[in-house]
Amino acid sequence: MSARDLTDVLVTLGVAGLIASPVVIAADYMTIEQAQKTFFPAADDYQEVALALTPSQRQTITVNAGPQPPHGHLRIWAARHQGALLGHVFVDEVIGRQDLITYAASIDTQGTLSAIEILTYRESHGGEIRSRAWRAQFADKQSLEQLRFRTDIKNIAGATLSSEHVTQGVRWLMALWQNALRPDAAS
Amino acid sequence: MRSIAVTLLGLSLLGPLGVHAATQDELEAKLQALSEQVDALKTELAKLKSQQQQQVAATPTPSVTPAAQPATPSVASNLSFFGYGEMSYSRPSDHPSEAVADLNRFVLGVGYRFDDRTRFVSELELEHAVSSAEDSGEIEVEQAYIERQLGQQLFVKAGLFLIPIGLLNENHEPTRYYGVFRNFVETDIIPTTWREGGVTVQGTTEGGLRWDVGISTGFNLAKWDATSSEGQESPLGSIHQELSLARARDLSGFVALNYSGVPGLRVGGTVFGGNVGQGQPGFEDTRLIIWEGHARWTPGRAEISALYSRGHISNTAPVNLTLVGNPTLIPESFFGWYLEGAYRVIDRETWSLAPFVRYERFNTGSEYAFIAQGLTPSALPDQQVFTGGFNWMLAPGVVVKADYQDFRHQRAGDRFNLGLGYQF
Repeated sequence: MSARDLTDVLVTLGVAGLIASPVVIAADYMTIEQAQKTFFPAADDYQEVALALTPSQRQTITVNAGPQPPHGHLRIWAARHQGALLGHVFVDEVIGRQDLITYAASIDTQGTLSAIEILTYRESHGGEIRSRAWRAQFADKQSLEQLRFRTDIKNIAGATLSSEHVTQGVRWLMALWQNALRPDAAS
Repeated sequence: MRSIAVTLLGLSLLGPLGVHAATQDELEAKLQALSEQVDALKTELAKLKSQQQQQVAATPTPSVTPAAQPATPSVASNLSFFGYGEMSYSRPSDHPSEAVADLNRFVLGVGYRFDDRTRFVSELELEHAVSSAEDSGEIEVEQAYIERQLGQQLFVKAGLFLIPIGLLNENHEPTRYYGVFRNFVETDIIPTTWREGGVTVQGTTEGGLRWDVGISTGFNLAKWDATSSEGQESPLGSIHQELSLARARDLSGFVALNYSGVPGLRVGGTVFGGNVGQGQPGFEDTRLIIWEGHARWTPGRAEISALYSRGHISNTAPVNLTLVGNPTLIPESFFGWYLEGAYRVIDRETWSLAPFVRYERFNTGSEYAFIAQGLTPSALPDQQVFTGGFNWMLAPGVVVKADYQDFRHQRAGDRFNLGLGYQF
């Protein structure tokens, strides 16, 4: 194929790609309710937790979690089955490159983390963190020592800020659970 | 709550007196009951107050952003502000009198979100600290585009945007690459920071595939200056248009694919092509194709990167015939590749130290189209550069760099570099 043919193909592909791209209404990848059911399908009750941190707890969590990106709104639910606590569901927001990423995670009563779910991603750059394989890296982690960025949770080249910030956010959730939500934690 | 309790107490006292006369025992019993009710109300009141205080303190987010969403949206919440910059000191080994210190780049970015699906992104760059008639600095709009989310996995951009090519072009901030200066292949062969005006669509899948397809402005071969060495330093860098009164008779097209479905791995490639004559007389059928393939793998603390790129401009012989006698004719082919390895010997939560080495081989004029016997330029020799040094991530977003560059065939270029970069 000559350079002429190839450039014609590229321009044609460009135009065709733009025209053929389906225009759909933006929607969340997953709703909060769907995330809750994904994490704890056996639960029959998800009660939102209004959490109060003592200054001492906040200090401990801040130190343990390590550097944090700007966060948005954090919500927590206790998932129960016939009154018995199964674990907690977290929906958190962290800055990706320039805009907030909304993601969800869960920690069961044993302190085991789930894979994370991306509920909303708002910018084109860094969208690779939706990769199923990348999100699955968080599954079964049980301590902050297992949640080190680049070492335990691999970076995504081209989506470094998004992958680093989400990892840091999950570290906060783990530290929060360990110090304020763990069944035997002092409240 | 307190007024309710007082009212209840008053009604309780007045009620019985107004209905019938009571005995002393009945009154005492009623008072006792009322006393117990007041105590219960006091306890309830104290509990409610305590709960209210706890809820005020319930700000479990670690950020500067308040946990509660503001009742009314503010203009500031739609604005985002970001930037990066780098400065360097470069000292040639054999010619220390040519040592240079420079504020290479100072970039400020502003984004604005119009609605849930539509945002504006821009970057304004000042190179070399001062831009004036007497100075070599430049002010450039590096990016300015509107991005519209068509679906959760689909975005469209229109405006001036970065071409999704190589490992560096879209991720060119100093905290994102090893070495004080960007590598030669992604500067001289791929003209980072390469941007064009146009429209592009980007999609990602949960399987880890990202695809980009777009149409845009391209290069203008009529900008080739055969009297300067600029075209020999970077063929495409010397004819890029950067959406500055860009000739746009012919559009270019590009397709890029990247796969990152395995954590720690990124593999991808891009093809970009278009007419670079822009319909101007004497530049008929001059077409550019540039393609590249790249891979990055980060097993543990190590990081290994590789990239190969090759460009081809067709029908250059008629143009070069008019330029014979000048020092820099238009190449038909140019290429480059590099291999880079880095290892984080120290890896703390807030800082890290990573030595690296990189080998590059590139040629900005590897082939010239045949003009006539004795007139066709000889191919340039391949250039080889070894770079070794370290990146010290001083804090998240701040990097200190040092390296030494060894030019295998141009010893005069050997130099020591020191750099400071940041991104926020």
